[in-house]
Amino acid sequence: MIFPEGSTRRTDHKAASETVYDAVIVGAGISGAIIANELSRAGKRVLVLEAGPGEDMDIPGYDDYLSRFYEAASKDNQSPFASNDSAPMPRSTDVRRIRPGHPDASAYFVQNGPFATDTTYTRALGGTTLHWEGKTLRMLPEDFELQTRYGQGRDWPVSYDELEPHYRHAEREIGVSADVEDQAYLGISFKPGYVYPMRGLPLSYLDKVVAKGVDGTKVALGGEEYELKVRPFPQGRNGIPNPGYDGGKGYRPVGAVSTNQVEEGGRCQGNNNCVPLCPVQAKYNALKTLAKALQTGRVDILPQTVASKVNIDPGNGRVTEIEYKTYPEVNSKEYTTGTVRGRIFVLSANAIENARLMLASGLTSTSGLVGRNLMDHAYLLAWGLLPEVAGTFRGTICTGGICDLRGGTFRGEQAGFAIDIHNDGWGWAMGSPYTDLVNIVDDHNKFGADLRRELIARISHQLQLAFMVEVLPNASNRVAVDASFKDQLDNMRPVITYNIPDYSMRGVAYARQTSRRIFQRTGAEDYTMYDPTDYGYATYDGQGYVIRGGNHLGGTHLMGTTPRNSVVDSHQRAWDHENLYLVGGGSMPSIGTSNITLTLAALCFRSASHMITQLRHDTAPAEVAAG
Amino acid sequence: MSRDRLKDLLQAAVELELSTIPPYLCALYTIRPVGNDEAKLVIRSVVVEEMLHMVLAANVLNAIGGEPQVTGDHAPRYPHELPDGVVLHLLPFSPEAVDAFLKVENPDQSYQPLAADHPLLGGRRHQHHLARCAQSAEGSGPTTIGAFYREIIALMEQAAGQMGEQQLFCGDPARQVGREYYYAAGGRSIIVTDLASARNALQEIVEQGEGDMGSIYDDDGDLAHYYRFKQIKHGRAYTGAAEGDPTGPPVAVDYDSIFAMIANPRSEDYTDPDLRAASDAVNRTWSELLLQIEASFNGTPEAMLPAVHSMFKLRDEAIVLLANPLSGHAGRTAGPTFEWDPSAQADLGMPL
Repeated sequence: MIFPEGSTRRTDHKAASETVYDAVIVGAGISGAIIANELSRAGKRVLVLEAGPGEDMDIPGYDDYLSRFYEAASKDNQSPFASNDSAPMPRSTDVRRIRPGHPDASAYFVQNGPFATDTTYTRALGGTTLHWEGKTLRMLPEDFELQTRYGQGRDWPVSYDELEPHYRHAEREIGVSADVEDQAYLGISFKPGYVYPMRGLPLSYLDKVVAKGVDGTKVALGGEEYELKVRPFPQGRNGIPNPGYDGGKGYRPVGAVSTNQVEEGGRCQGNNNCVPLCPVQAKYNALKTLAKALQTGRVDILPQTVASKVNIDPGNGRVTEIEYKTYPEVNSKEYTTGTVRGRIFVLSANAIENARLMLASGLTSTSGLVGRNLMDHAYLLAWGLLPEVAGTFRGTICTGGICDLRGGTFRGEQAGFAIDIHNDGWGWAMGSPYTDLVNIVDDHNKFGADLRRELIARISHQLQLAFMVEVLPNASNRVAVDASFKDQLDNMRPVITYNIPDYSMRGVAYARQTSRRIFQRTGAEDYTMYDPTDYGYATYDGQGYVIRGGNHLGGTHLMGTTPRNSVVDSHQRAWDHENLYLVGGGSMPSIGTSNITLTLAALCFRSASHMITQLRHDTAPAEVAAG
Repeated sequence: MSRDRLKDLLQAAVELELSTIPPYLCALYTIRPVGNDEAKLVIRSVVVEEMLHMVLAANVLNAIGGEPQVTGDHAPRYPHELPDGVVLHLLPFSPEAVDAFLKVENPDQSYQPLAADHPLLGGRRHQHHLARCAQSAEGSGPTTIGAFYREIIALMEQAAGQMGEQQLFCGDPARQVGREYYYAAGGRSIIVTDLASARNALQEIVEQGEGDMGSIYDDDGDLAHYYRFKQIKHGRAYTGAAEGDPTGPPVAVDYDSIFAMIANPRSEDYTDPDLRAASDAVNRTWSELLLQIEASFNGTPEAMLPAVHSMFKLRDEAIVLLANPLSGHAGRTAGPTFEWDPSAQADLGMPL
C-alpha cells in the first residue's frame, strides 16, 4: 500500500486555517482513517489533526518502531514508540498501586482509583491499531439488547441486524481471516452465502493440545449447561484469500505501507509479537486505510497538532472551530495555537481523549454523561505448565480460544467472558520468555547448549489463559479533567476514576474456577499466583485476583435514544451539536465480550454514510465560512 | 516434438530462476543486523521477484503437461553459469556482489566475469555448473535472458498454431499455483490455461527482469531495481528524474558490517565436525525446501505453506554458519553451500 510521499508535510497550519473543510477529523487512528477515506472518496475535502508525531510512513520509519521494540528492556504495548511529553500516552509500566485517598498523578493519567488501570492507547499515525492484537470478533446479537434480555447494562439504539452490513464493510477494510462455520455461534448470523475476505487462520498446535483436553467439557451455570469447545478467532491479519469472497471476485490482501512499493505484509508469517508490533505489517494497522485516504489528494493532515478546545456557537450549539496547539518537535514545551474550520467536525481520538477534549472545552452535554460510563475489559490471567511439549511460542500471539461463555441467561447475574489461549506462553503474566532466560542464566547458571535446551524445555510447556471479562457501563467510572493537572502543552490531563463492578467480579471469580477446570482437563499444573501488592489486585468474596486492562475503551460518549440518556445518537452525532460527531469506542453503550475495534469500525462506516448525507443536505456552511 | 522442446526450455527456465536466488540470499544473510538498510530492502525485493518468476515458469510448464523439477540434478550448483554467460557466485555482500547484481538486473551492462585469481575468489572457483537451458538450447543458445524467453514465447505460438491451442494447453488446472498459495511476493501469480495467459506469465518475467530501461522509475513510480543497486554501488541516492550515476544524498553502505563468508563454499571445506554438521543442516533444509516447492508444482500447491517455514529455518541455520570464522581463511567465515542433500525428506504436512 503506497503512502503518498510528502503528504504529511504538504499542508501548513496557515493554509489549513484559511480553508473551510468539509470535515475536520481529530485523530488518525482507525476511526479517523475510515471516516477520512469514506468522505474523501465521496469527493469531500478533509483535514485530519494528529496529536502525535506523523511522518510519511515508509519501511525505514516502520523499522525504527521495530528496532525500538527489539532494543527495549520492557516489551509493553508502547515500547515501539518514542515517549513524547508534548502529547503524552498512558503506559502500563507507569501504573502504581493506589492508596485510598492518594491519587497517583505521577504519569499521564491522574488515577483516582480505587482500581489502578494499566490500559493504554497510542498517539501516533495509525493509533492503537499499531499495537492491537488483531482479534476481530463480532459482538453477539444479545449484546445489543442486554437490558431487555437480562435486565443489565443498556440496550443499543441499533440492533445486530442493522449493524451486520457494516460489520461486513469493516471486515473488508481490516482484511479479516476467518471461516463463517467457525464463527456462527450464540446467534451470530451472516448474510446468506457470506464468506470472510480470507480463509481462517489455523489453530496453533498449543490450541489443539488444549482442545484435546477441553472439547466437550460441560459446565453448569445459572441453571443451564454449556459445552466448551476451542475455536479459532477471526483475525485482522492476512491469510489465504478466499476465492469465493464478494460473489467470486476474491479479495486482494493489503500488504505493508510505504512510500514505495514493498513486497511484504501480504501474509502472516507467524511471528510471535503481533503485540506490540507486527514486523511485516501482515496485521492490519490503520496506516493502510490512512494511506488510501491520502491517495485521494483530498485529505490534508497536520501531525504534532493537539486539538485543545472545541468552540461552539452558543446560539445553535453548532461547532464553529477547533483550537489546536502545535509543537515543533517531539517533547517540545514550545507550541503555537491556531484554529481550523469545517462544515462538520469528527472527534476520533479514542474514548478517553474524546471525553478529555470535550470536558476541557466545557462541553458536558445535556445528559451530563460526557466522560462517564468508562469501560474496558477486565482481563484475568491464569497460567500453568502442560504435561507435554505443546509448541508454545509458535504462531501468532493468539489463534484460538473458548467463546461458549460469552452469552447466556447467566448474564442476568454475572459477566460473560471469552477465553484466549496465549501462544506467547506466560508472556503477559510473567514476562516470558525474557524472565525465564534471566532466571536460567542468573539462578541456574546454565549457558551454551544447556541454556538453550533448558529455555526451550521450560517455555514449550507453558499455557496461559486470558479471560476477557465484560464490564458494564457505570456512571461513576469516569474520565474527568482538572485544571490543576496539565501536560506540558498546558492541555488538561485525563483524571480517571475507576473500579471493577461486582457484576464483573462475579465473572472474574467464575473465570478463575473455569481455569482450574481447564487445567484439570489438560493435566496442567496450576502456577497462577495473584500478588496482593500488584497494582491490579482486587478482591471479591474473600478471594484476591489480579486484573489487567484490555485497551478496549468505551462508553464515555455513549449512544442512545434521547439527549437525556446519551451523548450521541445512533449515528454517533452529538445530540447537542448537530455538526459534531464523537466516534469510536466511546459511543458504545456496552462492550460485550468482543475486542472493540471491529465493532467501532463498523459504527464508523455507518456514521460515514450519514455524514455524507448530512453534508449533501446541510445548508449551514456559508454561515460558518463567513464567520 | 515441439511440445517436448518447449517442456525442456520451460524446465530450463524454472531452473534458471531458481539458480538466481541463492546468490541474493547469500548477500542478504551476510549483512549484519544493523545498517545497510537500503541494501537489505532492495536485495529482498529482488529475491521475491525471482521466486515469482520461478512460479510463473512452472505454471506455464504445467499448463502444457510438464512436470517442473527443482530437486536432484535440477538443483543449482555454484558457480552457476546462466545461458547468457553470466556466472553466478555465492558471495558475501560486497562491491563484487553488487556489480554482479547490476549485471543480472540489466542485460545491457557489460559483463566481466571475476578472474580466477580475483582476491575474493582466491582460487576457490570450481567447475562451472552450466544451466540446463544453455545445454538444451539449439546452436549457440540465446544471448540474453530476455531473448531466451522470447524464443519460448515464439515456439509456444508456433506449437499452438500447429497442434491447436487446446491440444497444447492440456495440463491439469489443479496443478497451477494460484493466488491462494502465492501472493504478495514480487507481484501476483498468474494461472496459465491458454496461450494468452502463458504469454502474460512469460512477459511478466521478462518485463520484471529487464524492466523498462528507458526510465529509472517503474510503473508504480518506484526506482527500478537496477537503479537501486546503482545507489548502493555509488553510495548516493537518485533525486528526481536524473539519469546516469546518482549524485543525491548519501545512501549508507557499509561493506565491513558483514559476515565475510568465503566465495562459493563447498561442504568439503568444512573439516571441523561441528561446522560440517551445521552446514549439513543448512543443506538438508534447503533440500527440504526444494522438495516442498517441487510438490507444490506437482499437484499439491498448498505445499507452499510449509515451504514458508522452511525458508525461515534456512535463514536461521545459515546465520549459524556465517557466525563461524573458518580456520585457514584469515578473516573469513563459513557460509551456506546450497548443495542438494539426496537424503532429505520434506514435511508436506498441511497446517490446514
